[in-house]
Amino acid sequence: METGGRNSGSKSEREEITGESMDFSLIFSQFLSGLSRGAMLFLIASGLSLIFGVMNILNFAHAALWLVGAYLAYTFWNLLQPYGFSLWVSIPLAAVALSAIGWAIERVLIRRIYNRTLSEQLVFTFAMILVIDNLIKIIWGVQDKAIVRPSIVASPVFIFGAPLDSYFIFVIFTGAVVAIGLWWFLSKTKYGHIIKAAVFSREMVSALGIPVPKIYTWVFVLGIFLAGLAGGVQAPIGSITLGMDNAVIIQAFIVVVIGGFGSLLGTLVGSIIVGEIYAFSILFWPDGAMILIFVVAAIMLIIRPWGLFGTPMRT
Amino acid sequence: MQWSHNMRFFQSYAMKKQLWIIVVIIIAAILPTIIGAFWINVAVEILIMGLFAVSFNMIFGYMGQLSFGHAAFYGVGAYTVGLLMAKLSIPFSLSLIAAMLSAGAFALIIGYFCIRLTGIYFAILTLSFGQLIYYIVFEWYSFTGGDNGLQGIAAPHLLSSVTAYYYFTLVIVIAALIVMWYISRSPFGYTMRAIRDNANRTRFLGINVKRYMLINFVIAGAFAGLAGGLWGPFNQSISPDLLNWTESGIPVFMTVIGGSASFLGPMVGSIIYTFLNAFVTGFTQYWPLIIGIVIMLIILFSPGGIQGLIDKWYKHSDSSDENIEL
Repeated sequence: METGGRNSGSKSEREEITGESMDFSLIFSQFLSGLSRGAMLFLIASGLSLIFGVMNILNFAHAALWLVGAYLAYTFWNLLQPYGFSLWVSIPLAAVALSAIGWAIERVLIRRIYNRTLSEQLVFTFAMILVIDNLIKIIWGVQDKAIVRPSIVASPVFIFGAPLDSYFIFVIFTGAVVAIGLWWFLSKTKYGHIIKAAVFSREMVSALGIPVPKIYTWVFVLGIFLAGLAGGVQAPIGSITLGMDNAVIIQAFIVVVIGGFGSLLGTLVGSIIVGEIYAFSILFWPDGAMILIFVVAAIMLIIRPWGLFGTPMRT
Repeated sequence: MQWSHNMRFFQSYAMKKQLWIIVVIIIAAILPTIIGAFWINVAVEILIMGLFAVSFNMIFGYMGQLSFGHAAFYGVGAYTVGLLMAKLSIPFSLSLIAAMLSAGAFALIIGYFCIRLTGIYFAILTLSFGQLIYYIVFEWYSFTGGDNGLQGIAAPHLLSSVTAYYYFTLVIVIAALIVMWYISRSPFGYTMRAIRDNANRTRFLGINVKRYMLINFVIAGAFAGLAGGLWGPFNQSISPDLLNWTESGIPVFMTVIGGSASFLGPMVGSIIYTFLNAFVTGFTQYWPLIIGIVIMLIILFSPGGIQGLIDKWYKHSDSSDENIEL
């Protein structure tokens, strides 16, 4: 936090520091920007991984719902604009509202495809993307939406002399809180234990008299809640545009592939790896960031398809 | 009694289907004299996308694996034709052959890794490779034109009218379909079905499962490349979006609509998908909404697609696991 003091120092002082530790400050700022990208990916991919781990459904429409969350946050922010706290309220509101949508989707649609083949499930959730993206267009229109940030996260902060978007600190913080919260939930609570048991063997959980369909519904709702939270956190980063979800869903898949399906720790590590690869390849090979990410993903799938922390049980 | 009854039904059904195909080809041949230029364009699109979808179904229907990166081969074919014609002025016919070869070569490299995996891992690895090639094409401005794509890919003078291009595409697509049909009916095609239904048992019979899968993957990739090669001069420009994963979804949708259990199912799917697309976008911009709902309804209520429905009506039975029908 010493750096906060530097921030208020004179410009020449700052430049002196920058000159002295140019490489380090640049690397550190890239590291933080990669970390915030990783935190965002973690918020999205953790829900995806949770849903896949428990229900064995790879939800192609996860990022489309994430985008709905971003638009919902924008709408809530717009309604609450007179109040200073509007952004901080609209993010959790978006998550809650999207959870309700997720609940309805599970009850009406997802429930019907549990016993279908993998390809049918993939194509079904793929078709959901078309519907959701088109509904977004109908409801919110084609114009980009932008949230005006409150002053506290409006200007960059200087950490070791390198500028960093101060909102990124909030993103990293949210990612960390969710990671710890999920870890606590899965390893310390009764329902968390049930979910972990369901990842391992649904038949056994069912045999113990636990209503698996109910577990499915709530796991799906939890996953979509995380997507809504991620969407809300994403909303003020740039402008919200149609089709933003297209690239994000594939990156979330890559995160889950690298980390391992159904592993929370794996998803966390995978998110950070992908975020950092992106941030650092900007320094060395600006056009190659995405290429590098897919090279890493392909190598991982070839040598270790179940990922860093996954177990090779389902193919 | 029962058996001969079924047999009779089956024969008349098969004959009816053959009759239908002849009728469709005759209709296709006289089509340009009936419809206007707009719908001839739609018909060309149906043929090209249908070829793309049938090639996808070589992997999906006959090998039992869902490829989510098939657009990579389609795009490689399109870019091969585009680059050869625009930069080196190579004739269209030679460029088309080159498109098949280059897409096949890409499929050989990518397939070498992909066929080691099955199920969800196969789907994601094909998706990853597809996106890898997409981003390379997208970023490599000096060679591929980056996100601007390539413009001004003109068909040769002889094919410059839309009707001529339609007939040219019709002949190429029918020839390609006949080749793929014979492959699917050959011992090789039946080996693929055996691998799909039980890879382990097929391996016990002494068959090199991986090599068969790789050959099938290359064949499918090469024909997707041919379809892509036909697309460039038809559209007169190409863009990296031809390789994106959303493009890979189109043959998947067509196959789901038409039915993966029959050889021509994906072509039927292409007719329905492309026609609906052209028709619906005429009066509303909500095409994705409509096609999305249609796909979801088909999966929920008629997993065999349109062909599955037709087969059911004809056969009055559900024992259609032979997968040998046209």
